[in-house]
Amino acid sequence: MPTDREEHISEKAKEQVEIKPAKLIDISDLHPYNQESLIVSLDHCIKCNTCKYAFGAFTPSCPSGEEFGWEAYWASGRIRLARALLTGKLEWNDEILHPIFACITCGSCQDQCQAVHNDRIVDVIEALRELAVKRLGAPENQKKMEDRVGKDFNPYGDANSTNEELKKKYNLPNNAKVVYFIGCTSNYRQKNLRNATLSVFNKLGIDFTLVDEHCCGSPLIRTGQTDLIPDLMDHNIRVIKEAGAETVVTSCAGCYRTLKKDFTKFGKDLGVRILHTSEFILPRLSVGMLKEMDKKVITYHDPCHLGHHLGFYDIPRQLINFIPNLEFIEMERIREASWCCGAGGGVKIGYPDLAISTAKKRIHEAEETKAEYLVSTCPFCKRNLSDANKKVGNPLKVIDLVEIVDELL
Amino acid sequence: MKLERNSRINQTNKSEIKSKLEEIFGAKNVTDKKHNLLPYSYDATECEPGMPDFICMVENVGQVINVVKYANNKKIPLVPYITGNNIGGLTIPQEGGVVLDFGKKMNQIIHIHESHMYALLEPGVTFGQLYKHLKENYPHLRYCYPFAPPYSGVVGNAILSGMNNLSCIHGSMGDWINGLEVVLYDGSIVRIGSCFMGDKLSVDNWHSRYPMPDLMGLFVNWQGATGIVTKCAVQLWPRKKIERKLLAICKNSAVTAEFIREIGRLEIVDDISAVSVEVAKMALGDPTPVKLDSEPDFPVILPMSAHNEQHYQVKVDLVNQCIKKIEKKYNTTIQCTDFDYFAACIGDDIRVFADLPNVITPLVEYSGLTWVGTYAPPDNLEPLIDETAQVFIKFDIPMFIYMKSMKSSHYAIFRPIIRYKKELEEERMKKATADILEVCLKYGCIPYKTPVWMAKRLQEIIDPNWLKFFKRTKKFMDPNNIFNPGRWGI
Repeated sequence: MPTDREEHISEKAKEQVEIKPAKLIDISDLHPYNQESLIVSLDHCIKCNTCKYAFGAFTPSCPSGEEFGWEAYWASGRIRLARALLTGKLEWNDEILHPIFACITCGSCQDQCQAVHNDRIVDVIEALRELAVKRLGAPENQKKMEDRVGKDFNPYGDANSTNEELKKKYNLPNNAKVVYFIGCTSNYRQKNLRNATLSVFNKLGIDFTLVDEHCCGSPLIRTGQTDLIPDLMDHNIRVIKEAGAETVVTSCAGCYRTLKKDFTKFGKDLGVRILHTSEFILPRLSVGMLKEMDKKVITYHDPCHLGHHLGFYDIPRQLINFIPNLEFIEMERIREASWCCGAGGGVKIGYPDLAISTAKKRIHEAEETKAEYLVSTCPFCKRNLSDANKKVGNPLKVIDLVEIVDELL
Repeated sequence: MKLERNSRINQTNKSEIKSKLEEIFGAKNVTDKKHNLLPYSYDATECEPGMPDFICMVENVGQVINVVKYANNKKIPLVPYITGNNIGGLTIPQEGGVVLDFGKKMNQIIHIHESHMYALLEPGVTFGQLYKHLKENYPHLRYCYPFAPPYSGVVGNAILSGMNNLSCIHGSMGDWINGLEVVLYDGSIVRIGSCFMGDKLSVDNWHSRYPMPDLMGLFVNWQGATGIVTKCAVQLWPRKKIERKLLAICKNSAVTAEFIREIGRLEIVDDISAVSVEVAKMALGDPTPVKLDSEPDFPVILPMSAHNEQHYQVKVDLVNQCIKKIEKKYNTTIQCTDFDYFAACIGDDIRVFADLPNVITPLVEYSGLTWVGTYAPPDNLEPLIDETAQVFIKFDIPMFIYMKSMKSSHYAIFRPIIRYKKELEEERMKKATADILEVCLKYGCIPYKTPVWMAKRLQEIIDPNWLKFFKRTKKFMDPNNIFNPGRWGI
């Protein structure tokens, strides 16, 4: 997208009327990409409301807007807030942090928006968050994540795992062409998912290794806390290179998004192929390798960091359909129209009520399919959907696709 | 851009007002936080912004009655809001006060009467919502869809005389209203149309607005200045078996104007929408298109419906016969083809003009969008096109003219549109729209969904007796001037 704001205005037009750009506040302390994103917010979005509903499906799309209702809580409202803050029409105060941060940045708005700036909407929100952090500081709970990452290189505050024990346990080499980048949520919380991935790789005979990975940076980028990002990225690039990797595989949708998109955004070159576990596994399976699933009914939840953020919709479905003897029933809102699990964008830690109410809506949608398993391909989705599922008291089993593959392989 | 204006609400009694609003709507449905107010303070247009003092999310008629009674007593402005994406500053508070947001919680499709073919709606229902509901539940019925995003409000468009893709046969949306429920300034409810028969028939008796004196005019086109509409019944139409579109390519203003008028008079097409050829290029990805001399001026889309193939073919034959006459008269060629075929050749992006409801992508290019939307005398389309084109050329703005034949060409729509970067080019666009308005007024066009500045200009030239009567009517309907005060420049 061109950022030359006057590009479309001819000299002839300027002769008729003087062009008067609005005076902007100083944003030179923000990351250059985020500065650019904020300029996008000045010149795009008429607030046509298309972001509010799934395009063509006409179903609600924005968890934050649906929860709070005020225009400031929808994508177009946040763009207006950005514009007003940039032009000094709105002053900073602590209350303004709420509409800026109480958004899952699921990116559904991007899939619905039909305007030229659609792929920059989440960027605008993240840039606005960086601006807010620089001016007011991050909201308290989200600040904790940065503190923990700064100390232990993961947002959960557990002692950093160098993954050396896992390497020993699984007898992994120091160097391999494939690195499994576990991701903090799988490594420190959803360990079943990590273990299932390691098990599947072993069963498939993959020559792979693990590295002393640090947080990929996703939770900090999503919450506008960018100070640690260059160091985190540099470390991860270094350890991946030292392992001799040509391919990095991750089972975390958030890591996948960050490795695939944000490294470039922050001017870093990982120099390897990035694959999600599902796309790594699928071509390595052949007919007869997976046991049958006894006609179990499953439904699939699109993780936003794969779907809305990267258009990654088909491969998990292809993998599901590869499993013999199951019944796959889709929920009402899928793919570009899919509803978020509620966990991302710092909301799980910052606004737990919003996280859970969003997830409950998804759980109810899954219930309507009569599925026994609600399957996803992201540890953070699994965690939040499981939390909501417990609160609802539903017999639905929330599970990651790689766990199913491990069971059947 | 200054956001605050002189609000009628005294800062000292603001907390008292807030408490009362919270009592009426519930605390979670009331806000006075500046960051929440801001998105309601301006729209895409050049209209001056203005901050409300409060926003309330409305859930039911009882709340409307209570807030109107209170506001009337305290002389607090009330501004109705559905989605706020009109092009005319219609929901920007002129004197502060309370914005009543109907879009979030008072948005139910109350009833579809299949045999009487109407939909009874709450104010917040959008075109997308109604489209989905009819498609899933009443596929044999259809409503109309404007050249507007799917999440524009149906009721707002209807009571402001919007137009749509059935307007060539059925005219302005204001004509399709069967009935209204309105809360008046004293909190009483009035039902206009056949629904006035009483509560027992409240859902099922919204079949027409005749034959009583047509009091609908006290509310339609008043921009919320005479009462708050809480229910609206709109006519639906039988969906015919065949729905297709033709695309005709017209050269120059004379041929295009004649084409619009004559095809409209055939009474066989659902709609006629002509847009500048530059707009088609915008849809195909060129934000600053230039028309080449060899290119035609206007593609015209003709949505048509028919009971069967034979019926459709007869209509197509009649269109072609009409085209031949125009070609002969103007010594020109009008290429007419099936729209689907055209789209397959040129690219699917062009379908945004045909597959409604849809986002007309050229309209959402930048952060600003404005137009001089007018009801126009069909005979004047030619000079309107030519002289408006001069304004576009003067300001070096890509040509964007949108025209329609309305109700078999009894009247027309003439709507020059400008997209711009709001924080960069507002002054430039204000001058351009002012110049275009003068062209439109010169040829007898009447602006609709009228911005305040246009209304003020209009008042300078219209019959003073009309204006006097208009003001007296407003005073009668709203003695304390609480309903959207400042609208219409009065």
